[in-house]
Amino acid sequence: MDFTIASILALDGVTNGAVYALLALATVLLFAVTRVIFIPQGEFVAFGALTLATLQLGQVPGTVWFLLVLAGLAALAEAGEGLKAKHPPARVAKAVVSALAYPVAISLLVIWAAPQQWPLLAQAGLTLALVTPFGGLIYRLAYQSLADASVLVLLIVSVGVHFALTGLGLYFFGAEGYRNPSFWDERFNLGPLTLSGQTLIVFAVSIALIVMLWLFFERTLWGKALRATAVNRLGARLMGISSTSAGRLSFTMAAFIGALSGLLIGPTTTVFYDSGFLIGLKGFVAAVFAGLASYPLALVGALGVGLLESFGSFWASSFKEVIVFSAILPVLLWRSLRDPHTEEH
Amino acid sequence: MQARTHGFLKLALVATLAALAGTSARADITIGISLPLTGPASGLGIPVANYIKLWPTSIAGEKLNVIVLDDATDPTKGVNNARRFVTEDKADIVMGSAATPVAIAMAPVMAEAKTVQFSFSPAVVSAGTDGWMFRLPQGNAVMAYAMIEHMKKQGVKTVGFLGYTDAYGESWLKDFQDQASLLNGPKVIATERFARADTSVTAQALKLVSANPDAMLIVASGSGAAMPHKAVIERGYKGKIYQTHAAATRDLMRIGGKDVEGAFVVSGPAVIPEQLAADHPSKAVAQDFVNKYEKAYGAGNRNQFAGHGYDAVIVLEKVIPVALKAGKPGTPEFRAAIRTAAENMGRTVVSHGVLNYTKTNHWGFTTETGLVLKVVNGDWKIEQ
Amino acid sequence: MLPRKFWLPLFAVAMLAVPLLPVPEFWITQLNYIGLYSIVSLGLVLLTGVAGLTSFGQAAFVGVGAYTSAYLSVSLGVSPWIALFVGLGLAVLVALVLGALTLRMSGHYLPLATICWGLALYYTMSNMEFLGKYDGILGVPALTLFGNSLASGRAIYGLIWVIALASALGVTHLLDSRSGRAIRALKSGSTMAEAMGISTFRYKLTAFVLAAMLASVSGWLFAHFQRTVNPSPFGLPKGIEFLFMAVLGGVGHVWGAFAGAAAVKLVEDELQVLLPKLIGTSGNFEIIVFGLVLILVLKYAPEGLWTFVQRWFPAPQRVKDWQGVAPLPTRDRPKPGELLLDVKAVRKQFGGLLAVNDVSFAIHAGDIMGLIGPNGAGKSTTFNLVSGVLSLTAGEVVFRGRDVAGLPSRAIARLGMSRTFQHVKMIPEMTVLENVALGGYLRTSAGVGKAMLRLDRDEERRLFAEAEAQLARIGMAGQMHELAGNLALGPQRLMEIARALCTDPSLLLLDEPAAGLRLKEKQALAEVLRQLKAEGLSILLVEHDMDFVMGLVDHIVVMEFGTKLIAGTPAEVQASPVVRAAYLGTEH
Repeated sequence: MDFTIASILALDGVTNGAVYALLALATVLLFAVTRVIFIPQGEFVAFGALTLATLQLGQVPGTVWFLLVLAGLAALAEAGEGLKAKHPPARVAKAVVSALAYPVAISLLVIWAAPQQWPLLAQAGLTLALVTPFGGLIYRLAYQSLADASVLVLLIVSVGVHFALTGLGLYFFGAEGYRNPSFWDERFNLGPLTLSGQTLIVFAVSIALIVMLWLFFERTLWGKALRATAVNRLGARLMGISSTSAGRLSFTMAAFIGALSGLLIGPTTTVFYDSGFLIGLKGFVAAVFAGLASYPLALVGALGVGLLESFGSFWASSFKEVIVFSAILPVLLWRSLRDPHTEEH
Repeated sequence: MQARTHGFLKLALVATLAALAGTSARADITIGISLPLTGPASGLGIPVANYIKLWPTSIAGEKLNVIVLDDATDPTKGVNNARRFVTEDKADIVMGSAATPVAIAMAPVMAEAKTVQFSFSPAVVSAGTDGWMFRLPQGNAVMAYAMIEHMKKQGVKTVGFLGYTDAYGESWLKDFQDQASLLNGPKVIATERFARADTSVTAQALKLVSANPDAMLIVASGSGAAMPHKAVIERGYKGKIYQTHAAATRDLMRIGGKDVEGAFVVSGPAVIPEQLAADHPSKAVAQDFVNKYEKAYGAGNRNQFAGHGYDAVIVLEKVIPVALKAGKPGTPEFRAAIRTAAENMGRTVVSHGVLNYTKTNHWGFTTETGLVLKVVNGDWKIEQ
Repeated sequence: MLPRKFWLPLFAVAMLAVPLLPVPEFWITQLNYIGLYSIVSLGLVLLTGVAGLTSFGQAAFVGVGAYTSAYLSVSLGVSPWIALFVGLGLAVLVALVLGALTLRMSGHYLPLATICWGLALYYTMSNMEFLGKYDGILGVPALTLFGNSLASGRAIYGLIWVIALASALGVTHLLDSRSGRAIRALKSGSTMAEAMGISTFRYKLTAFVLAAMLASVSGWLFAHFQRTVNPSPFGLPKGIEFLFMAVLGGVGHVWGAFAGAAAVKLVEDELQVLLPKLIGTSGNFEIIVFGLVLILVLKYAPEGLWTFVQRWFPAPQRVKDWQGVAPLPTRDRPKPGELLLDVKAVRKQFGGLLAVNDVSFAIHAGDIMGLIGPNGAGKSTTFNLVSGVLSLTAGEVVFRGRDVAGLPSRAIARLGMSRTFQHVKMIPEMTVLENVALGGYLRTSAGVGKAMLRLDRDEERRLFAEAEAQLARIGMAGQMHELAGNLALGPQRLMEIARALCTDPSLLLLDEPAAGLRLKEKQALAEVLRQLKAEGLSILLVEHDMDFVMGLVDHIVVMEFGTKLIAGTPAEVQASPVVRAAYLGTEH
């Protein structure tokens, strides 16, 4: 292997790693605030890519109907719980309407806009607007009532959600794969490397998102509220921070990050309805490297996974998954020796 | 609370018994079909399923009871489906799968049940165990033959291989190398593997391109065939690129775009009847297939695999009347007679060429069926 | 309703009779798969339901068993029966390695590790040339038993269900034994178990290896039933499905494994046919239903389906069959007045916080010593330092002449120190008698094998006799068959003391034993403690209730802010102005 090949592989690894980093960040974010180990994070990636692909074809993406179904269920749940708790009808109605309002509005917009073949960036915006609400709705339907359950129960629920989303993804998107056009077709030469415009966009977006997340958590009140919920749920509630809102917000952010990642990898690879799972898992490996707690370590871990995958497929292409997933074991061991062993009841 | 759980338990008990009893609807001729509608080979299974929806509802006066189940490209599911067809649905004929490893796994079950299996994939089973299996597609060796002859004409001496890590990829590699040594064809100098779910094959493409072969052979199916192709082009490869017949679908052009221009794809005659010579035996039949399929599913959507679904009807229309003379549907005599009828079918023109099963040859196609197509302006063009 | 003990033989006979009846072949196939899945789910019941360790990777162990036997019997012509044991050995080896790496991890790291190595094993099996890669191995021979081929579904049915029922029986026996109680103690955290002398790591590893062995046997049967092995049934989705079966059926119950496997298999089959008709297209939509059902079960019926059935089979009370057995061996008592515990300048620092600052005191045999102080003084921390739950930053602890600083709590328990806890740590699903018997762990020795084969009955009887005696000592013998979770706080604390006494200690550490007790209960407890002292037991207790302490103890040590304020007799301490200042504040 000479320097040229090594640098190409390194670039490839770092580009993939940037996308894994976004997923790792979303995973760490969710775990920190809600203690949910969100295995279906990868599904948002697939949904984002497939939604854009369908919009590109001028058709209404299945995401719209999926969103409406979820919104409908959430509204039913709000109504059911409100009536059971004997809330005043006005309050119940308000809850139902607020569950339905945004999803219905964005769905109508997309149904109207899809056949008009808007420019790529506009369609990308529509995709983000369409997939992001999934996060909050999934939280509402699957996790909200289990907010105080143990981490293991929440993990098993995540598995259930993963199954459901994968199967529904098959129904709404079909079994065939799609590829999106690149956002920027230019190519730049940097020594032996050829950077495509898409690669630059991936880096730019990843860095921008990391910086924005940092600003959000350090400088805004909502960010601090999320951090408070992460540290001590009950204490935060006593301070007036609704843990339900915190959960919903963090899930919405995770869905946004997932959809964005889907837009970024759509051009470089063919995405199928079930491609998200493995991508999400690799983001996982990186998040575990970070102890599910530290954002900078998640970034480092993700770049490591990307590089490991890239060089691994060069040396032994059929074993690259084995390499990537076995590598997590020493990481976990190191982690477990580092973290104090707490009694989980 | 007691009453409620009591009622619930009763319901559960009834449901359990009902489930064990299964749903065996009796109709005249039962055909069980296992196809990969999801999973890596879905690009092969879905078109076949699409054509099956266009099948006639009866043959030779007997109603057809067609059951299609998804095996998700999983041999275990395929075996389950086969068992279910045989024990629960009492199928007279079983078809499937379009995924090679699944079809191979189903074969022993079918042999044990003494029921004919028409496979939609070129499944190679060990000698002596294919007594009940008939293949509808051309074998990989037949297609490799056509490809190698074309390569020789183009002066290709070395080939780089980039293929799926599954049975399709493995069997293509083996058949290609076997045929090449028989025909004095090109040598495979580099081999790389990938899986359908991979997000990038840059490393593999790098390795192959640096070996600088005269041609690349990409072995993948459906939508999955575009990414490796694009990756190789992206690495600056300027030589010829060949694809296999599982990639002979619109998906290749849809996803591959400009990058697949000039690619050579080996295929059966079913997808380009317009360009076949007037005296090609399959011209009329292939045209009929294309007309029917594109009327239902849109112009330009013709592909290799749906053609097998079409050919299956031709074969059934030939063997069922013969078998009916020997026994009624649902009896072992009928099932055995299906096999005898297939073996004595003689030369049968289908959309993919001329099928001729015999007692010793359950493959049927000869080496004339493979054609090499070139992607020109997003469409297919036959190479002479 | 027939007594519970008749139901298992009835069920076994019924299941084994099925292939002899003219039932449709399809039923046999279904029941075969249910049997195979039940064996794996049983391992998960033990691992997840009882020991509290979530594993998504059991399918990979099934693959190990299946591939070993397939490869050996096809490529090397080895008899499948020998291949069974090779597969078991391989599974045990892999489980030991993976367990050693991952079982030390806390809570949620383990399931993540299982996902990852499940995937790694799956991809390894899929890419090995000699294992046939993604296509696997075909033509695996059928099993033969005494010359009869087990090729047909009906033939192998007997073997599958005999193994399934035997495994269920074995696990049931295991759970009702010394090792079983140790495994059941794992779920509630390791502190209490370690304090009773149980090596939690060892038992976690045991549960893990047993689950792996069960999965491997299931894989062996699967290979010779399907007669073709390929990687897909051993991947992560299947591993998740096994956990789903266990959770749906009732992950804490042995028969929940069977219920869950049956429910999932039957529903899956129905859905495969039903859903395409409902939805209009074909495809694997069953997983949607599974996902939704899993979420609903966890939300509304987390104990699983079996709990509905179990109401029909209430567990009978344990039969008292231990009259007149030989008592368990006892420890040699220290001589009265001998220096029992010498705590020398122990210190504990948590980062910048100095919790215990050079505290020293000594207990002589036959003493009752009280450790008192305002809240946050560091009393429980000192307790934890002495009993080995926390590690010392500095200082020495000498117990019966041996330096115990740095020893794990189970080693200290073995030397004769036993304790109770500030927040009661017990196993609510076990009876009072069983909880107390947990204390006798160190005094008995039957292992897992003996337990599963029911060869440990003698020792168990002696242990229960001892446990009953200890309960009688504190006046709770009448409640010994009550579920521990049903007790009020006071009796729970007393039960903890009985459990500590069951270890036959020389020194008993009681952490706020009177907290939450009513007046009469406190008086009774004080009587018990005095009686114990009269019998030669030494006690160190932490307490807040002054009346209780002053009337009971011989010596008192007072702590404040981690430092020892004063040590002396109750009279001296009550008179001390320093103590009064610590509790009530000084005049300014």
